[in-house]
Amino acid sequence: MLILIETPAGFALFQVANTKALNKIDNIYDYLQNEKQAKKLVTPFAFQQFKDTQEALVATSKLINGKIPKKLSKFLEKNVISQEVQDQIAVQDKKLAKQLQEQLGLNCIQTPVTEQLFRGIRSQLTNLIEGLSESELKNMTLGLAHGLSRYKLKFSTEKVDTMIIQAIALLDDLDKEINNYMMRLREWFGWHFPELGKIITDNLIYAKVVKAIGMRIKTSSTDLSGILPENLEADVKQAAEVSFGTEITKEDEKFILCLADQVIELTDYRSQLSEYLKNRMQAIAPNLTTMVGELVGARLISHAGSLVNLAKYPASTIQILGAEKALFKAIRTKHNTPKYGLIFQASLVGSAPAKLKGKVSRTLAAKTALCIRYDALGEGQDAEFGVTNKSFLEKRVHQLEEGVNYRDVKAPQRGKAKPVQSQTQYQEEADFQPQGATWMQKFQKGEDKRQASQDIVQRTQQKKVKQQ
Amino acid sequence: MGREFSGGRGDTRGGRGGDRGRGAPRGRGAPRGGRGGRFGGAPKAFVVPHPRLAGVFVAKGQQEALVTKNMVPGESVYNEKRISVEDKQTGEKVEYRVWNPFRSKIAAGVIGGVSDIFIKPGAKVLYLGAASGTTVSHVSDIIGSEGVVYAVEFSHRSGRDLVNMAKKRTNIVPIIADARKPLEYRMLVGMVDVVFADVAQPDQARIVGLNSQYFLKKGGHFMISIKANCIDSTNRAEVVFQHEVQRLKDEGLTPQEQLTLEPYERDHAIVIGVYNV
Repeated sequence: MLILIETPAGFALFQVANTKALNKIDNIYDYLQNEKQAKKLVTPFAFQQFKDTQEALVATSKLINGKIPKKLSKFLEKNVISQEVQDQIAVQDKKLAKQLQEQLGLNCIQTPVTEQLFRGIRSQLTNLIEGLSESELKNMTLGLAHGLSRYKLKFSTEKVDTMIIQAIALLDDLDKEINNYMMRLREWFGWHFPELGKIITDNLIYAKVVKAIGMRIKTSSTDLSGILPENLEADVKQAAEVSFGTEITKEDEKFILCLADQVIELTDYRSQLSEYLKNRMQAIAPNLTTMVGELVGARLISHAGSLVNLAKYPASTIQILGAEKALFKAIRTKHNTPKYGLIFQASLVGSAPAKLKGKVSRTLAAKTALCIRYDALGEGQDAEFGVTNKSFLEKRVHQLEEGVNYRDVKAPQRGKAKPVQSQTQYQEEADFQPQGATWMQKFQKGEDKRQASQDIVQRTQQKKVKQQ
Repeated sequence: MGREFSGGRGDTRGGRGGDRGRGAPRGRGAPRGGRGGRFGGAPKAFVVPHPRLAGVFVAKGQQEALVTKNMVPGESVYNEKRISVEDKQTGEKVEYRVWNPFRSKIAAGVIGGVSDIFIKPGAKVLYLGAASGTTVSHVSDIIGSEGVVYAVEFSHRSGRDLVNMAKKRTNIVPIIADARKPLEYRMLVGMVDVVFADVAQPDQARIVGLNSQYFLKKGGHFMISIKANCIDSTNRAEVVFQHEVQRLKDEGLTPQEQLTLEPYERDHAIVIGVYNV
């Protein structure tokens, strides 16, 4: 009898040579606990190891869905069918047994004895399979489990918000670093050519110019038309002639140029990173991006820790995320709490007049909370919801600017509280009654008795007619 | 332990945003870990091992609390409080996480006075009904790096949290599957020493029996949390527990100890026993 066992390391076939001895054993599980006895009773017949986690994942996911993976069918073909082994195969899963019987014509069995065998073998797996240690098996199990979980949860690499959090943190870091390096470059090169710093204000252009000219002497011979506009180029060339900076050696120049290279590279990388962040934000949270923009959206997600965490916050929290220090201080000293946190950087709040920033921030936070929840927990991938909300907000800002309040728009006349009558207004009794009044309603009105008495009168009249 | 929530007016330290708001964003782990630090405001808390249970500790200070040794120092799994204690002999800093009996049935059982939970360092545990992994993380702390806990959870939402937590703790094997069909995860699970079930299903006795049949070693132990309302909401809790115990016996599971989880849960009981086939 053969035994088929599926492990995270691969497929294994064991052979029970002596089935008669097997039936004589009282407690198979206990018997198999002894390593020597186990090896005598159950001998490894064949073992097909998975090459990597990917292979294991494909095979296992097929098994779970009740189908035979290719690996398994090849394994069985090679070891059982082509070798013309006539033994029965013990399989743990009934469905799999049926499939094997139908597709490969193998004779599969399942009895309480085989169940006990499976238990015993499962506890002795590392002892029975050569070359498989506990730690190896554990690693493969972990790999397979995580892979399977991701497969089941339909883990999409597109929707990972860790990328956003890391990217925005890196963006801030890069900004600081680039600024540092730029200041250093200006100071260092300013030792040699101080006037250049005063002429060129933009950092990136300064670095490019430094890279192009190297030493002050070469300025007149270098072509700066690609980097500078004509008038600045003329200024630079003139300043180079009459500069009072000190001379530097070739080696100094080499290192300064290296620094300038670094700055240019980093600035380039930063702009690429910014593009990447925009794309990722659009993919992960399109509605949030539409409402507040990529940077503010990314900062909100990063502050909360994840998109799902952000979705759990109420709108009032989203309004003051980022101003916690001011918030708790105000609460403690019983002052006014801040009106906006990170949301202040959103374009809608920025473009509103100063007096309305508070109101706009509140409305924006409310609608943004909805958009965030739609992105985090909803199934759709579109930005329509965000677009609708944004247009509502723009209308609202417009309304606020014109001094319109909700109270004035919808309030009825003061003093004469008249309820608004509409066609769909619910009217007391008529709405509750179905087409024809029910028995219950008739009973309550005493109508059924009248009806009953009328029925009786009718029937007696009919009887009289019949009798006559 | 009643001092879990200390946000709101007048209290600065416990505030939700206290640590998070300052400085650069620190990514996933940070917001959860923000509220750590001194336990209960006491000047010094010291930690002693639990008198009966290996791997479980008790923190004594202003208030007593059940704690487990944190396998991932510096991080909170579900915003629970952490206690850092310096070992006088070696000078090492050891971190412990507070185990809340209101949120975890096993903690409620331990504080209620159960004689043994059988989850000890090096044990292999099959945990059915893992949810987001709050209790699973404590089980993982107890069993240490030598043990393994196979956490089975069917819900996708909770499963996501479970898998994320399992990424940091290598002794947790996350399994997103129906506990009613143990054959679907037979290639991931080896033989285990303890089966813990907190599935809240009316047929949970059958589920535990089926899983034990495939995965629980002979002489292994099981621990089941029974919610009376879930099994049968018409009968009284004691009657429901009696019926459940009978059903467990029919599955081949021998109950040895039963304990109600008052005052932490209403109409809940925990049944511990041994599996002898």
